[in-house]
Amino acid sequence: MQNFNYKRKSTVLIMNFFIVIFFFILLVKYFQIQILNHQKYVNKSRRNSIRQVIQKAPRGIIYDRNGIAIVDNRPIFDLQLIPEDVNESFDYHLFSSITKIDSNSIKENVLNKKSNINKFKAITVKRHLSYIEMSRLNENLLSFPGMLFSELPARVYPNNCKLSHTLGYLREVNEQQISIENSVYKYGDIIGTAGLEKQYEDVLRGLDGVEFHMVDKFGRDHGIIDDEIKYNKKSGSSIQLTIDSDFQVFCENLMYGKNGALISMNPINGDILSIVSSPQFDLNSFIGPIPFSTWNQWNKDKSKPLNNRVINGYYSPGSIFKLVTAAMILENPLINHNEKINCSGMYKYYDVDMNCWNLDGHGDVNLNEAIKYSCNVYFYKLIQEFNLDDLFTMSEKMGFNKKTNIDLPNESSGIIPDKKYMNQKYTSRGWAFGNLLNFVIGQGEVITTPIQVVQFMNIIATKGETKEPKLLLNSKSKNIKVNLSDNTWKFIQQSLEDVVNEKGGTGLNTKINEGGIVSGKTGTVENPPNEPHSWFAGYLKTDNNDLLSLAIIVENGGKGSATATPMARKVFEKYISIKQ
Amino acid sequence: MLNKYFFYNKNIEIKWMIIFPVLLLLSISLITLYSTKSSISLIESNFFKQCFFVLFGFIIFYVLQYVRNVFFYEMAYVFYFILLTLLIITLFMPSKFGASRWIFIGPIRFQPSEFGKIIIVFTLSKFLADYKNNINDWKLIPLTLLISSFPAILIFKQPDLGTSIIFPAVTFPMLLWAGVRPFHLFVVISPLLSIIAAFNLKLFYLWMFVLILVIFLSQPNVKDGIIIFVINLFFGTLSSFLWNNLYAHQRNRILTFLDPTNDPLGAGYQIIQSITAIGSGGFLGKGFGQGSQTHLRFLPVRDSDFIISVIGEEFGFILIFAVFAIFYFLLHNVINSSSKLNNKFGSFVLIGFVSTIFFHVIINMGMVVSLFPVTGLPLPFISYGGTFLLTMITIISIINNIISSDIEV
Repeated sequence: MQNFNYKRKSTVLIMNFFIVIFFFILLVKYFQIQILNHQKYVNKSRRNSIRQVIQKAPRGIIYDRNGIAIVDNRPIFDLQLIPEDVNESFDYHLFSSITKIDSNSIKENVLNKKSNINKFKAITVKRHLSYIEMSRLNENLLSFPGMLFSELPARVYPNNCKLSHTLGYLREVNEQQISIENSVYKYGDIIGTAGLEKQYEDVLRGLDGVEFHMVDKFGRDHGIIDDEIKYNKKSGSSIQLTIDSDFQVFCENLMYGKNGALISMNPINGDILSIVSSPQFDLNSFIGPIPFSTWNQWNKDKSKPLNNRVINGYYSPGSIFKLVTAAMILENPLINHNEKINCSGMYKYYDVDMNCWNLDGHGDVNLNEAIKYSCNVYFYKLIQEFNLDDLFTMSEKMGFNKKTNIDLPNESSGIIPDKKYMNQKYTSRGWAFGNLLNFVIGQGEVITTPIQVVQFMNIIATKGETKEPKLLLNSKSKNIKVNLSDNTWKFIQQSLEDVVNEKGGTGLNTKINEGGIVSGKTGTVENPPNEPHSWFAGYLKTDNNDLLSLAIIVENGGKGSATATPMARKVFEKYISIKQ
Repeated sequence: MLNKYFFYNKNIEIKWMIIFPVLLLLSISLITLYSTKSSISLIESNFFKQCFFVLFGFIIFYVLQYVRNVFFYEMAYVFYFILLTLLIITLFMPSKFGASRWIFIGPIRFQPSEFGKIIIVFTLSKFLADYKNNINDWKLIPLTLLISSFPAILIFKQPDLGTSIIFPAVTFPMLLWAGVRPFHLFVVISPLLSIIAAFNLKLFYLWMFVLILVIFLSQPNVKDGIIIFVINLFFGTLSSFLWNNLYAHQRNRILTFLDPTNDPLGAGYQIIQSITAIGSGGFLGKGFGQGSQTHLRFLPVRDSDFIISVIGEEFGFILIFAVFAIFYFLLHNVINSSSKLNNKFGSFVLIGFVSTIFFHVIINMGMVVSLFPVTGLPLPFISYGGTFLLTMITIISIINNIISSDIEV
């Protein structure tokens, strides 16, 4: 080997230059990734490895006015398997005999998933386990490695009262509800879909908690990430209703087997004490998916069990509506309400014969007697002094043709026809004065809901100073003020008292012997060819000056004085016994 | 005889300018491997195995200090033929992971291609040191490329593209060191660059501009200049011709090779996760043991070729920068030492080794950020892997030996 001095400054420079250039290019690339696009990759890696685990918040409980739970929470369970953890010791035979699922299909499903990247992801094999299935599976826990139960919030109804229409039910949120901007709902969430559950959804719904868990490539959970923000779940607020559950049960039993509605409430503060739409349906059916056949049956049923008759039932008010005309008469200084008018059992309006319900006639009657006996002819005659607008205006004053604003969703407003309405409906004939004869006795196009009728009673019972009806205890409800003269109120109140308490009154069956005085009005709605609907609307003034208003309608119940009145008496008597 | 090749006693001189950066790199390696070991028991972990290899490397270092340079010089061609023999044997070895890279002798297995990286440097150094003709005669470049091509082709057939690239690659810096005009080297490399550049028209125009500029500045005679230009143009057009004659799946393979995002769940998965890991590390990193990409196994291969992704994620840009700085410090010092050596053979060896380390660094660190295609070259001193680490330690030991024993020739 020769001695040799090898110094080439320029070559050293070139080589250093090359190294620096390449390292610099690489550093720029690293700088770009790590500093400039840092956030982008942070997000990407978080999406990779962080899983949100939702902590379901329980919904608020619903209590009655005495603090008795009417709606509570009870989790229901789905049965799941984690394929990776299902091993040879898994007893497919026993599993299948408990759950009634074909063991081969489970086995195949599990084995398929086992070889797949999702092997750590739980698969749901059965939804909504029954209590018996659940306890049997739990007894044999060791035979089912990899089995777990996933909890779903559901409602339970621990009280005897049904209140089905009023309480309403929960359903899984739909696409539309999720897609609303700022929607708090996510897939699989439940939402109040009817009744109070819908009305007070915002109150009852809790706020689900969120935990961030670390998951690996296979989806295995590595526990909570400590330095991530954690949102604790917030339970929904409970609500207390104005309903008295014992009283409610009594009213429900009274309505059992009948179609119709019953509402009782306190006219002074607007508290609804009982509210029944009959027939009811079983709210327990709404836990989990409703079987298609059940849903179909409900919808086909002629008695329309899903329809809340209290706020959506369209009934003619019948004779109860005469009280509107009575108020018009009393408010008109030109009419002497003590003047007697002869009822021969029939009234001839041009070429039409209009009958009184009593074909023998009531003889000479004044306004008080006309109300007491529910004489039609008196009102046929006196309405001649008025026109449709007068009736319409007074009806609206009394709360008809508009919502009562009860705190339930989808209330109907009923119909009080005006000229425009009639001309639209009967384009060929148009409005005729003859229609008014029908309207005055609460028949024809006059349509009311039971809640409007009870509100009408509230107005009378309080001399026009009542509140909007409400179901939420201690909530503020709006004042209602109907300005009529004190004499008018007194007269109507006295007449209603006479209806129930005087001989010959149509409401005599409602008379109670002790504890208070009932006032009210019966109604009979002709419904040919079927039996007429039977109404009672009135109020009780107890000896302690408590007020309870009541409206009952029994579909096809016959005459108001026959069916609804004894029921009303029982309700009032029950109320007095509760008060004592 | 032994006297001629080995020292019996010698004061071992450690060139700290070379050894210190290497120790730093080894520390980074071990810290990172300790971080990725996660729940595996210590004995089974890559960290533990790497510790063992590092200790074994220290022994190799000391042993190699007793070897005289003459041994490498005189044995270079012998080694070369042994290498070719072993590489041929390797091709007949049972394949593992779809490649025949290892020779199995009982429980021991090793990759001849790894030690080939050392041997090719010895062979080329001896050849260049012994070359008596004019350095700039036309035969030198083809001859040296021929020498490096034999093992390269055998390794390419294993297949191990990354390693096979190293062999011809180290040839060019060594030729430059020998005094070959840079322009000549440029002319040799340019057709290859023409083919690559032709994949993108804009890039090809730019490349043609650079080519003309270099030709003009180097001032060869006009005839040569035109010929060089035409040849490059030809290779450029050849590229599109070749491309059009490929089957669709072959094209796809090349496209994914060039841009992994073409196949995000397949071949591109590793590289996408690697960039995500590095990017999410930011300036300071997520901290020791905190790399979610790494620890949740989104990054499938992490200890060996992609260890820099772990470093990027857990220790951030700051340590990436440090790694570059340390490597630069190391390479710069070796080149400097090489320029001061009296030993011509040793001087070539040093440049060869510098090139080996350099190409590993840029290809590895470029590939994890998708700047270069994934070729499977580990990062010197940092990546996990016994044979590779021992190869690198051997290289450093020989560098230390050559620098410290220059007085003796």
